[in-house]
Amino acid sequence: MARDPKYDILFEPIQLGPKTMKNRFYQIPHCNGFGSEKPLSQAYFRAMKAEGGYGACCTEYCSISPESDDTHRVSARLWDDEDVKNLSVMCEMLHEHGALAAAELWYGGPHAPCMESRSVPRGPSQIPSDFEYLTYAKEMDKDDIREVQQLYVDAAIRAREAGFDIVYVYGSHSYLPQQFLTPYYNKRTDEYGGSFENRARFWRETIEQVREAVGDDTAIAVRMSCDMFMGDAGTQLERDCLPFVELCDEIVDVWDINVSGISEWGEDATPSRFYPSGRLLPWQEAVKKVAKKPVLGVGRFTSPDLMVDAINSGKLDIIATCRPSISDPFLPKKIDEGRLDDIRECIGCNICISRWEIGGPPVICTQNATAGEEYRRGWHPEKFDTAENADNDVLVVGAGPAGMECAMILGKRGMRRVHLVEVADDMGGIMRWIPQLPGLGEWARVVNYRKIQIDKLRNVEFIPGTTLDANGVKEYGAEIVVIATGGYWVGDGLNGCTHDTIPGADASQPWCLTPEQIMRDGKDVPGARVVVIDNDGYFMGVSLAEKLASEGKKVTLMTHLGHIAPYMHFTLEAPNQHRKLHKLGVDIVTSHMPSRIEQGAVVATHVFDEDGHEQTWEADAVVLVTQRRSNEALYRELKDSVGFDTLRGEGITACYRIGDCEAPRLIADCVFSGHRLAREIDSENPEVPKPFIRERRVIERELAAV
Amino acid sequence: MSETLIVAEHLRGAMRDVTGELVTAARLLGNPVAVAVIARDPSRLEVTYEGVDEIVGVPVEQAEFENDVYQHALEALIAERQPEVVLLGFTVNSMGYGPAVAAKLDLGFASDVHGLALDGEAVIATRSFYGGKVDAELEFPEGRPVLLLIRPTAFAPAPSGGSPSTSAFSVEVPSSRARHVDFREAAVGDVDITTADFLLSIGRGVGEQDAIPQFERLAEKLGAVLSVSRPLVDAGWMPNARQVGQSGKTVKPKVYLALGISGAVQHLAGMKTSGTIIAVNTDPEAAIFNVAHYGAVADLFDVADELEKLS
Amino acid sequence: MKIVVCVKQVAVLGDEVEFTDDARDVDPDFLDASLNEWDSYATEEALRIRENAGSDGDEIVVVSVGDGDVEPAMRRCLAMGADRATRIDHSGSRDPITIARLLAPVVNAESPDLVFCGVQSSDAVQAATGTALAELLDLARVAVVTRIELDTGARRATVHRELEGGLVDVTEVDTPALLTIQTGINQPRYATLRAIKQAEQEPIQVVAAGEEGEPAYRVRRMFAPPKGEGAELLDGSAADIARRIAGIVQERLK
Repeated sequence: MARDPKYDILFEPIQLGPKTMKNRFYQIPHCNGFGSEKPLSQAYFRAMKAEGGYGACCTEYCSISPESDDTHRVSARLWDDEDVKNLSVMCEMLHEHGALAAAELWYGGPHAPCMESRSVPRGPSQIPSDFEYLTYAKEMDKDDIREVQQLYVDAAIRAREAGFDIVYVYGSHSYLPQQFLTPYYNKRTDEYGGSFENRARFWRETIEQVREAVGDDTAIAVRMSCDMFMGDAGTQLERDCLPFVELCDEIVDVWDINVSGISEWGEDATPSRFYPSGRLLPWQEAVKKVAKKPVLGVGRFTSPDLMVDAINSGKLDIIATCRPSISDPFLPKKIDEGRLDDIRECIGCNICISRWEIGGPPVICTQNATAGEEYRRGWHPEKFDTAENADNDVLVVGAGPAGMECAMILGKRGMRRVHLVEVADDMGGIMRWIPQLPGLGEWARVVNYRKIQIDKLRNVEFIPGTTLDANGVKEYGAEIVVIATGGYWVGDGLNGCTHDTIPGADASQPWCLTPEQIMRDGKDVPGARVVVIDNDGYFMGVSLAEKLASEGKKVTLMTHLGHIAPYMHFTLEAPNQHRKLHKLGVDIVTSHMPSRIEQGAVVATHVFDEDGHEQTWEADAVVLVTQRRSNEALYRELKDSVGFDTLRGEGITACYRIGDCEAPRLIADCVFSGHRLAREIDSENPEVPKPFIRERRVIERELAAV
Repeated sequence: MSETLIVAEHLRGAMRDVTGELVTAARLLGNPVAVAVIARDPSRLEVTYEGVDEIVGVPVEQAEFENDVYQHALEALIAERQPEVVLLGFTVNSMGYGPAVAAKLDLGFASDVHGLALDGEAVIATRSFYGGKVDAELEFPEGRPVLLLIRPTAFAPAPSGGSPSTSAFSVEVPSSRARHVDFREAAVGDVDITTADFLLSIGRGVGEQDAIPQFERLAEKLGAVLSVSRPLVDAGWMPNARQVGQSGKTVKPKVYLALGISGAVQHLAGMKTSGTIIAVNTDPEAAIFNVAHYGAVADLFDVADELEKLS
Repeated sequence: MKIVVCVKQVAVLGDEVEFTDDARDVDPDFLDASLNEWDSYATEEALRIRENAGSDGDEIVVVSVGDGDVEPAMRRCLAMGADRATRIDHSGSRDPITIARLLAPVVNAESPDLVFCGVQSSDAVQAATGTALAELLDLARVAVVTRIELDTGARRATVHRELEGGLVDVTEVDTPALLTIQTGINQPRYATLRAIKQAEQEPIQVVAAGEEGEPAYRVRRMFAPPKGEGAELLDGSAADIARRIAGIVQERLK
């Protein structure tokens, strides 16, 4: 189908200083765990988006010097000519697809822990980082300022050498240039501190010098946070940012506008739990009103209508996307081809970001199992080769995230027939009820996307409302069987803290409940006082606490961990979730583990109390978010009771497990699990993942010589 | 004499609206219009439409529709009156005997017709194919009557009035092989947006979750079932069961009133074959207007408030 | 008892459409095929009657009209559990009266106790083949059936006929009879892969089409319906718009 003319504006070229960008789709700088040291993973990852129609793609933050070393996290680096070589692959591949390449030159100041380089970062004032532990900067004197500005210039020259078309002087997320602009970081009393003019001086001078060095043929981008949400201490739109835009508009080619500082950058990389698309538009619009140069910015845009509206209403010139481009690198192409229902929309879960926060494993995505696998596994999100055993019929039992993904990819790989059999009357598995938790509605896109795709696949049939036992599977007539029966929250309190059940925990009692019982089965939560026991540490415990508290219950959220939901720190959801629970009056009890539960009370001890003093919380209801287990009964029956040999006698050549049914895991990992099996269904042993390419230095010598 | 013959539809002693719509359709063909009323006491059923030339009462024993009765009566009427065109409603009743008459008498035939025209002397009927996605003009064999089942609501009802002549036509009807026993109201089950006649559908335009109860009330007042577009399900404000669209339910109500729905393709795929689509949106470019029969560029809350006052 | 189920393989049109050169039909490249949804309910109903009240020797026979390309739909019915299938070889006019004429002698030769058709087909929506066929077979008939209670001994059935607006007409019908089956009367079963594979191996009897006569209509021209132009603009104040909407709603729901 052809593109709807109302989206034409998204495909109009735009001038960025000396460079022309072919359309309005811009992949904002974002991390992927590859940096300069996994150069092919880096290049293939970015190039996939260029192939998918992006007009420009950026590196993640790109360190300009060993003084700005973010190890344990992974950034790109342009420290020397070897880095130039490595990043030049990315530039070349982007150029092959007609996309511009951008490098986000980064100097972290006190936020750079320099754990690898053991260098000392320099900063405007000597105040320890509000983001890192025990990280101080050397307070810069005038010589330091000149030297650091020269580091920017040298890195910009290297960037141009590598083939980058756009270089950033990056300030957002509380990095060095923005630190100078911000009283929270800048306590100087010389001409680089105090008044707006003084605070702006470092950034402006740096932009000027970079421009002088490379500006004749390289576009200069500035990324600025327009509100740090910290009152007078932070950067403010009217006081600092709009004047800065006016001050520097002449020497900047494109403005990249966002909000937040580093310690709460979830205000920028907004989880869908708290913010819809386009949350940053008011700030972007304010800048657009004063800037003569193009303005770009993120907003987790997945809908072309919102994109067009942002441009037509004068809020943005260029639609920048980070997470939506991970979720669907082909977003621009699908809009261009009128295939809107093929767009794999970002769900805003921020599991991608969690990997950077953890410290550098490759990026993952709940929606796009191929994200990060472009080079090392050779996976393409839109291309599927016909399986060598495509003449087989496949039965997939269970239509949760893993089963749906597996059936969909098997369908795309041309298997003769794929039957996706589900007990419930619709697809989704756990994703039928998880999106009903407070704020998680967009997570339903995991189901929506796959439902639409499966519906289009003539060789995949969805069979709802059908329970298969081992005999049913045996008789079904498939050559390949995939068991994707999911998992469940235990009802006896078994948990990862004590590795035992909790005495008295029994979800068959009316006052004791599991997440599924509440969300899926509609089991009534009795009484006014509820204790939610969370030994899981991600979204389930806090979400149920929030839900029950907003329904008027008096909720105590108890965890053995030092913080509630520690994983939500990585997804940037933690701060606002804390605010929400606080506002709802949820009583938070950390470092406590129940020693027993009885009707009416939870008895717990402090995990570090060697004497084991017990404390009692009165409770009309107890919600057990202790651990999950696999629903593996069907698989075990097939393997242990019927036996794979018998199955082979029935023509079933293989029986696999995927997703939670094998071991409970992240939704993203369930999807990956289903995808991986389908991608490798014709490998020698599909049960075991094929080796992937590990980008590493290999020593060329005989082992015997060691 | 060439004429267009209509068979009136009535149920439990009341004339059905489709009869008036058939009169409008019949008048497009130019010939005199006769309306046959097949009933136990035809005179008790009023046919008061402008443009009707003759009302033919056909008294029968049966008070309610039975297909053998209607088939026999219509066959006799055709034999007697030699109409050029016979129009019935595309209704459950007509489905039970219209095609049988056409098969028996070798008539030109089409059903679910929503457009009628004359090309010279020839009747041209327009109807949809392939799930309503395309239209086709049909022509019919020459020299025989054409029997058409007309889609309800495709034509406006004829205005009331007229002073037709009346006649009676008696027909001997054999005993029915399928006999009416009783009427029952269908059981009211859970909310099922796929079977509702009237959907009030709301979308992103409602802005916030707190606004939803207002539309639940409005739906109840209007006698509509509330459905939603995907952003509201995405936001967790409404359950999936209420979602219209490709990833939700496909619906085909008689009336689809869309408030604040822009009309993403996935949404349109789920509702565009609805009988009558009315859309209210502040954006005159909204895609929903491409499939709507009636559109208003207005604030949905203003319109909702006014609707609530009316009902 | 023998039940004949008349089924159709329907054409499913995607979002894009192009027409044949003579503009009388859709270019077949733009069409997908599947078993008509209504016919899957009709098949299921036949299977249920056999399962609930059947006896040895009961038979469910699927009959369809078309060329070899329509056999996948018939095989789907076999996979669901129908016993055998007969295809009436035909590639001409597909108007419902012609199809009924072609079906009649073949169905008649089966001397069925019941004949089921779907109420309508999703691609043509004529809702006519079944009723026309009943006439040609001289069978009692009821259209748009949502429930069937058979009284085999008394040679009759009590059926529900679903009228517009949800009203149910309870009708007593003599058997043998032809019933056109509405969706929702049951939940059609799914065929397992084994059943699908077995059905692929089963023979389909092919019989030559009889006299088809003159078609009940001919397509003069097929075209994409005019887009959007139909939207009549409601203007004025919010109160004016609301009044118009209320009027339209009232009119359409009557």
